[in-house]
Amino acid sequence: MITVPNRLGVKFSLKQKPKLQPADILPIFQRWIQEHAVPGMLIDVIDYKHVVEGPGVILVADEADYAYDLGEGQAGLNYIRKRDLPDNLSAALRLSFHHALHAAKALEAEAPGDLIFDYSLAKISFLDRMNYRNQPEVFDAVRAEIAEIVGEIYGAPVEVSRVNDDPRRLFAVRATVSAGNFDLDDIARRLSDIRELA
Amino acid sequence: MTSWKELLQDEIPAEMGNLIDIYEAQMELRKQGKLDEKVFAESRLRKGVYGQRYDNGQRHDGVQTRELTFPSDDIVKGPDTLWDAPGMQRIKIPYGGLTAEQLEVLSELADEYSGGILHITTRQDIQLHYVHIDDTPDLMRRLAAVGITTQEACGNSVRNITACSLAGVCHDEVFDVSPYADAMTQFLLGHDDVQDFGRKFKVAFSGCAGHACGLVKMHDLGLLAQSREIEGETVRGFTVFVGGGLGTVPHQAKVLAEFVSEEELLPLTQAVARVFARLGEKKNRNRARLKFLVAKLGIDEFRGLVEEELKIVPPDERHTAYMDSLGDFVYEPAKAGMALNGAALPDGFAEWYRTNVYKQAQSGYSTITLHTPLGDFTAEQGFQLADIARRYVGDNIRLTVEQNFVLRWVADADLPAIYRDLDAIGLADSGAGTIVDITSCPGTDTCKLGIASSRGLTAELRTRLVEKINLLPDAVRDLKIKVSGCFNSCGQHHVADIGFFGNSRRSGNHKMPHFQVVLGGQWQQNAGSYGLACGAVPAKSVPDVLEALTERYVAERAEDENFQTWVKELGRKEIKAMLQPFTKLPSFEENPAFFSDWGDSRVYTIDDIGVGECAGEVVSLFSMEISRAESTHFEALLALDEGDFAAADQNAYKAMVLAARALVRTKYLDVGDDYNVIVQEFRSRFYDTELIYDRFAKGKFARYLFKRHAEAPARINEDYAHQIIDETQLFIENVHSAEQRINGVIVG
Repeated sequence: MITVPNRLGVKFSLKQKPKLQPADILPIFQRWIQEHAVPGMLIDVIDYKHVVEGPGVILVADEADYAYDLGEGQAGLNYIRKRDLPDNLSAALRLSFHHALHAAKALEAEAPGDLIFDYSLAKISFLDRMNYRNQPEVFDAVRAEIAEIVGEIYGAPVEVSRVNDDPRRLFAVRATVSAGNFDLDDIARRLSDIRELA
Repeated sequence: MTSWKELLQDEIPAEMGNLIDIYEAQMELRKQGKLDEKVFAESRLRKGVYGQRYDNGQRHDGVQTRELTFPSDDIVKGPDTLWDAPGMQRIKIPYGGLTAEQLEVLSELADEYSGGILHITTRQDIQLHYVHIDDTPDLMRRLAAVGITTQEACGNSVRNITACSLAGVCHDEVFDVSPYADAMTQFLLGHDDVQDFGRKFKVAFSGCAGHACGLVKMHDLGLLAQSREIEGETVRGFTVFVGGGLGTVPHQAKVLAEFVSEEELLPLTQAVARVFARLGEKKNRNRARLKFLVAKLGIDEFRGLVEEELKIVPPDERHTAYMDSLGDFVYEPAKAGMALNGAALPDGFAEWYRTNVYKQAQSGYSTITLHTPLGDFTAEQGFQLADIARRYVGDNIRLTVEQNFVLRWVADADLPAIYRDLDAIGLADSGAGTIVDITSCPGTDTCKLGIASSRGLTAELRTRLVEKINLLPDAVRDLKIKVSGCFNSCGQHHVADIGFFGNSRRSGNHKMPHFQVVLGGQWQQNAGSYGLACGAVPAKSVPDVLEALTERYVAERAEDENFQTWVKELGRKEIKAMLQPFTKLPSFEENPAFFSDWGDSRVYTIDDIGVGECAGEVVSLFSMEISRAESTHFEALLALDEGDFAAADQNAYKAMVLAARALVRTKYLDVGDDYNVIVQEFRSRFYDTELIYDRFAKGKFARYLFKRHAEAPARINEDYAHQIIDETQLFIENVHSAEQRINGVIVG
């Protein structure tokens, strides 16, 4: 069985540059805490938008971080699960996709027509260099399983590729599915068994 | 599945590894409720593991204070500090010196444990925020494997020793202070004489008197390089300053000695530490810094005490051994020095060259400053910067007390290329050391004591100033701004031309974030003088206040008159009058924006202020030392569980010696680490005198130690391991009881 990483991230990038500025995300995330708009024990909002291509604005929770992430020059919603990951990779990925999708949809609702995520591509990060060194053999070992798990989530074939080949960087993959091959409501139904933290 | 401990066991120096193991064992004991929360808090702080805002489980969300229900809600890592609450890890980088490999590991850790952000502090440390305490032992191991320690990064200990980032390449320095800062770091780290302070102790080195350099006059101990001709030879040494400090009540340091030779440097420092440990305030943390002791006694009496102490400082070959390796401290540039060769210059280069490039004393080389906004950079930038360093300068990377990087030993011919490479990763902003390069403490973002958002204000000022930097007169462009979130001065507002520190005022039924305006501090001359508090203005008015101040300064200053002189000439009364229009407070209905802080949409409140950990916990030396014995005993138990009976025996024996040492050190501080000496001193002071005797068992438990010390077991099996571990437990309990009988109170 493939080891579950200590932390697991799922990021959906925006399709296009929005009118909404990163500074506008701060009050949204602050309000999300007041309204408990996303699951988890929400703690605080951190402003890192001043650093170039950084994590942007982060809503910190005990179990996870929700970041309006500016990494790699692509703004997006990055859900990083930090604690209480299930004990198998399939369940961990399903959990992280569930919360990432939920948060991305919630953010889209804050600026309809402006914030539009590209759900056909997910960046999956394994924040665990002990178990996931960014090396080809690690990719070879998990590629098929990730494709299968994410494919089951989307209900469609998924291409999995490495984000970069620098062994110092986090091990991360892109999971891509052809646009039109999936339906978000179907995905939500497939993940509807995930109830924790709600 | 393997672990970082197993993976790195051959790469971590044994002593560093042992200290991390002890800390991890203390964590387990705390979780089990077997280690006092104050003792653990101080132990944790001395590993650089610091609390963060909201770790008491309360946060005001702008409407009401809400309880943060962490999973391990019943476990605390210190008084009123919940185990699962995110915290800060401070990482000591002595004199700011980093290698490319160390920068990579720091970046890896930020990636995995702290949201991908690293923060440079005003003490040349790196801080990672939002770290879970359970991750800290592995984090420390990964640092230790590349020669970085977090030991004594916080708490009542010797903090990171700072030095001018230009040391070794500066035109004006008397000599390079870097190897001395390095030697002192090694000497004081974990030294017995620096374990019983009532507060922290900050040391800085400076190579010259004129520039800001190491800011020696605002330190507990400041060392300013000097040289003297003695009997025809040039002798290196230092002018020694003591008792400086900022904080709520800033003190200028006093000269303890005009000239101390390099042979005398470490013993004198040790003597100062011993006097501070013995006579410094222990109970009232607000008056426990060395500056209060020096002020109370007067510098002459303090000097006399240090001179007397110096006579009884035990001989130590390390006092002078470091001098043999001073010559080994050489810099290896990646490339030969070469002048700029007329190559085409990229856009923006000229301005960057003007503000960020320092021509080194060494021909053909420059030091460049990488301005990091608010002291922050990303893990990704860290990796790429390590590549750039390897390409152009090798391991010649340093952090600065202005929260920036410098790369030293850049061949001048490479300046356009390195500028392009830095620009590609967002680290080529010009304006280093100018008005846009604002220093800020963490403030309300993460600090438990923060009253107003220093980082929010800094970000706002920076954005506005960057937009108009090219329009500003030189006199304004070169001003220093420093911002603290409260009166404690972590942002060093006292030594800025224009400083701000957070406070609050009431308007109607609401609180409004404010900043006190502090004018005329001097950064140069090693923090030569402190500024004057001139009045508090609403946080949202600060940009306008800054504009009014600088415009008037430009309009009224005499030719070449600097800001300090202008402020002095203008006088506090006139400045107050100038600020008066800004002090009129709108009502909440008139302008609700004034009731939110910079970078925070919540309605402002001071309800989130907690109890800071800057002062550490007032815990007796015995409590700290006996906790090490208990942790080592716990390690013995773990070894027994793993079937490693030899390790169980070794740890149990060591735990007994550590317990004996803890008791001996209550009477004899200089007992040292030699097991024979410790056992002998313990026997003569506590066993022969019957002070250790239990009412019923008499000297039985002490004899467990004597027996094991006299002879290692011939055969070690599970039964034996069980037995010695049980005996160790009884001996530790015996030591606890004796200490209470003899000395009264354990935890202060």
